[in-house]
Order: sequence, then C-alpha cells, then structure tokens
Amino acid sequence: MTAELADLQSMMQDRLLGGSDAIAGHLAQGGPFLKVYGNGYGARLHEVMADVFPGVHALIGDDGFARAVQDYTEAHPSRFRSIRWLGRDFPAWLADAPAWRGQPVVTEMAAYEWALSLAFDAPDRDPLPIEALASVAPEAWPGLTFDLHPALQAVRLSHDVAPFRRAAAEDQDPEAAPPKLEVPGVWAVWRDSETLIVRYRPLADDEAQGLEAVRGGGDFSALCEIAAETVPPEEVAARAAGFLKDWVDAGWITGLGGIPEAVLPSDR
Amino acid sequence: MTDMIESLSGFGLGLRPPHFPALLDGIEGQWPGIDWFEVISENYIDVGGMPMRNLMRVRERYPMAMHGVSLSIGSTDPLDRDYLRGLKALADRLEPAVVSDHLCWTGAHGINLHDLLPLPLTEESLAHVADRVGQVQDALGRRIALENASTYVTYDSDSLTEWDFLSALTARADCDLLLDVNNIYVSAFNHGFDAQDYLAGIPGDRVRQIHLAGHENNGDHIVDTHDAPVVDPVWDLYSDTIRRLGPVPTMIERDAKIPPLEELVAELQRARRLSDNAVRGAAA
Ligand SMILES: [Fe+2]
Repeated sequence: MTAELADLQSMMQDRLLGGSDAIAGHLAQGGPFLKVYGNGYGARLHEVMADVFPGVHALIGDDGFARAVQDYTEAHPSRFRSIRWLGRDFPAWLADAPAWRGQPVVTEMAAYEWALSLAFDAPDRDPLPIEALASVAPEAWPGLTFDLHPALQAVRLSHDVAPFRRAAAEDQDPEAAPPKLEVPGVWAVWRDSETLIVRYRPLADDEAQGLEAVRGGGDFSALCEIAAETVPPEEVAARAAGFLKDWVDAGWITGLGGIPEAVLPSDR
Repeated sequence: MTDMIESLSGFGLGLRPPHFPALLDGIEGQWPGIDWFEVISENYIDVGGMPMRNLMRVRERYPMAMHGVSLSIGSTDPLDRDYLRGLKALADRLEPAVVSDHLCWTGAHGINLHDLLPLPLTEESLAHVADRVGQVQDALGRRIALENASTYVTYDSDSLTEWDFLSALTARADCDLLLDVNNIYVSAFNHGFDAQDYLAGIPGDRVRQIHLAGHENNGDHIVDTHDAPVVDPVWDLYSDTIRRLGPVPTMIERDAKIPPLEELVAELQRARRLSDNAVRGAAA
C-alpha cells in the first residue's frame, strides 16, 4: 500500500513533532536516521530562542530554559516563514505557564527581549519631520491622529531588566537578579532613526497612556484628555504638545491622519 | 540602483551577519577573492533597521543571489501568497542574479518545521511540484532555481531517481537548478547511489549555481551540518562536476562555527583552483 503525498507529509510531521511513528512503515531506507530530522528540529528552535531571549535563559538556567522552550514550541509550533518570529507568543505563554507565572521578573524579561528584537529589525519608515506639525491648521488639531513607527514598542516593567539583559547577551554571567524598579511603569523601546541602535526609556504614566491611546487610533484631543488627569487645565495643551514633540523628535511618529481635506495645507 | 551588477560569475559566499563589520568597515570596495554573495531571503523579508542597511551596503559592492528556505514547494499546503509577495518585494529591491529555494517541503497544515524535508520521488510529487513552480515563477515574474537537499530517508513509494525527477521537473516547469555538490555526496552516501550517475543524469544546462559545504560523517550516515570545511571527496566531486558542466558560479555555505572571512576566502580559492584545472583538463 502506498500513501499519498499529503498523508506522507502528515505522518512525517507528526513524527517530528513527537507524535506517532507511522511514517516508519512507509520508508524504504533510513528509518534509524529519522532522528536527524527530529534532533535538528529541536536544536534549531532552541538556538533561535536562546538568541532572542538570553536574559530569560540566564534567569532560569539551562535546564529551565530548555524545558520552557520545549513546552512553548509544543504549544506554539512555528507558523511563520521566517523563524525569527518563533518567540512572538513566548512572553504571553510564560506569563500563563504554571512554572513561571509566579515570577514576574521572568515574564518581564521575555517581554522586554521580544520588544528589543522587534525594534531591532522592524520595517523601515521615514520619521515625520517636525515641520509637518507646524503646518497643521489650528482647527485640524483636535482630530489629528498619528501613525507610529513599527519599531516602537511599549513594555510594562517593575524590575530593572536592562543591565541584566545586556550582560547576559554579552555572555557575561550577570551577578544578581534584576532588582525592583523604584517606580514601576511602561518603558518605550525603539530604534534610533539615524544610528539604527535600539534605545529605551521610561515613560511618565500619562505619556504611556497617551501613547497607547494614539496607537489605538486616538486623536490629539484624546491625548489632551489623558494629560488633563495629571496637570491643571491651563497646562494640558502644553503637556500634550510636549509629548508629541518628544515623539516626533525620537522618530516615533511617521505620519498624520484625521485631517479633513478642507484644512490640508496644500488646499489652502 | 541602476548601476547594480546583474550577472553572477566566479566565486561567492553565503552572506552571514558576523562578517558585516569586516566586509563593510574593514575594507573599501570588494574583498579580494569574493565575487558575489548569496543571502538567505527569509532573513530580509519585511525587515528594516541595521540588517537591511548592512545588506544594501553589501549589495552596492557585490552581485547577489537570493536563497530561500521556506518556499516549501513540495508541501500539500497552499502556496503562501504573502510570502511570495515579500519574496518579490525583496527581489525587486536586490535585483539578484538568481532566486532559489529547495526541492523539499518544510511543513504541512500551516506549520513550518524549518527543515528541508524529503519528498517521495513519485509522478504525483513531480506533477505537484511542477505545477507549483509554475505558479511561483508567475508570481515572481522570473525563473527560480531549485536545489537538491541532503536527505536521510527515502520512501517506499519512490519510483524515480532524484536526477530523473530533477530532469523532468526542469523541463516541465521550465525552472533552473542550484546544484549542491556536498548534498549529492551526502545523499549518495546515505542512500547508496553513485554520485557519478547523479552528475550524468541531471540537465547540466539548467545549473545556474553550485553550493559547497562541510558535513558530519557519523559512520553509518552523514549529516549536512554546514559547520566545517568542505571535505576532500566533495572537492573531487566538485572537479568532476565542473569537468562535466564547465564553469558555474560556485559558493561555500557556512552556517555554524562561522570562521573569520579570511578562512572562508582561502577555502574559496581552492574552489577557484580546482574549477580552473577542471575546465583546462576538460578542454585538453
Ligand atoms: Fe546548499
């Protein structure tokens, strides 16, 4: 009996994912060497994950990391053409995994490392020149929306994970686990548009909320409403505009939206 | 990008990130002994930042080939149109002399195992792959080259040799070949066929590019590891290949234990020497 192509592929894949050995019955040669494929699969996944998550690796040790990667990739086999996306769901998986969910420093490290990885090689976009803001008509400001650079990430941290991560990535054994931050909050991770080096900084609470609102399509008036919870009414516009200027200067904004045709500069 | 060099000739290397500093900042213009580079397509699809800046800087100095690992031409899953769009966008940007992937499948039911898995060598596979090569070439607007992969198992249902399969495929789908001489050696060892039959059986005029690489011999089977220098028997087989085919753009792949560029260039000089000798010997 010969199996058809689709059946053979299902059986072979099943075997490599640790399932049934049915494929062995359809091989002419090399049954013992099926392990080459199986070993290669596990080794490849581990290598990619270790490359992206050296901080998590250093935190939970070789055995813990090997177990986490194996369990994670069983739950989330790659559905990506590029293997660099393999770790996409790792932070969320860790946050939910019985073995790790009680250790926020581990899940924070994973989220931070994934943000670094995305910021490093996300697609390029030209940052918005600051002059573009100056040319927006006053009546267009309240409804103004903003496109964010694909490299810009936001991560909530309660531990100072960055120095530990830097040491782990450089193969120096970090000495102590990351200490708690004095002020937990959201950190921005992004790529400098000139040097292309990945940078990070903590955000004020209202700045973080504003950025999240903008990411969700919120306009300038939404940004002002958020600022109004932090500063007195007379300072609201300046605070919101200050955020915006910082974001444009850092290259986080790549485009403007929500401008009615009638007030586009070219129409005036 | 109008002044980019279009054709591939001579001897190249697989472009690997550890070599970017030496290639881009250690030297102006081309590194002596390297005529072109091959890039792994997936590493640059929908990618920006430093990797893409480095890639484009290398592209300004060298002709390029694009080599994919996830086309999964033999899978019974539908072709991934998003992937093909990304591949085409990268090809439009790099203007590579060759776009290649492997005769294999990499997963089914939406999963990617990120490995080059063997196809049963049957008429069913042949028809399936030929049809899909046609679709891919239409989507990309150019011919692709398929590479023979190293394999560790064969199927009960195999009814064709790999060289007959490739001959029929290139004729039916009007596609090209990327011949990996190390992979011929590895598969010949693992499955007990004669590598000379393979060389005699493939359509030589379809071969656009040659790969060489190191492997790991475990006594009863060889694993294609790309982590070591090319071994002498593979060099011999390379000479045989050039005697049969004439000069073909040739490169060395190293994917693990990556040594300094100087070391790979020295190995590449051996390819150059053997190729020259083989061409001269064949002409005499
Ligand atoms: Fe190859």
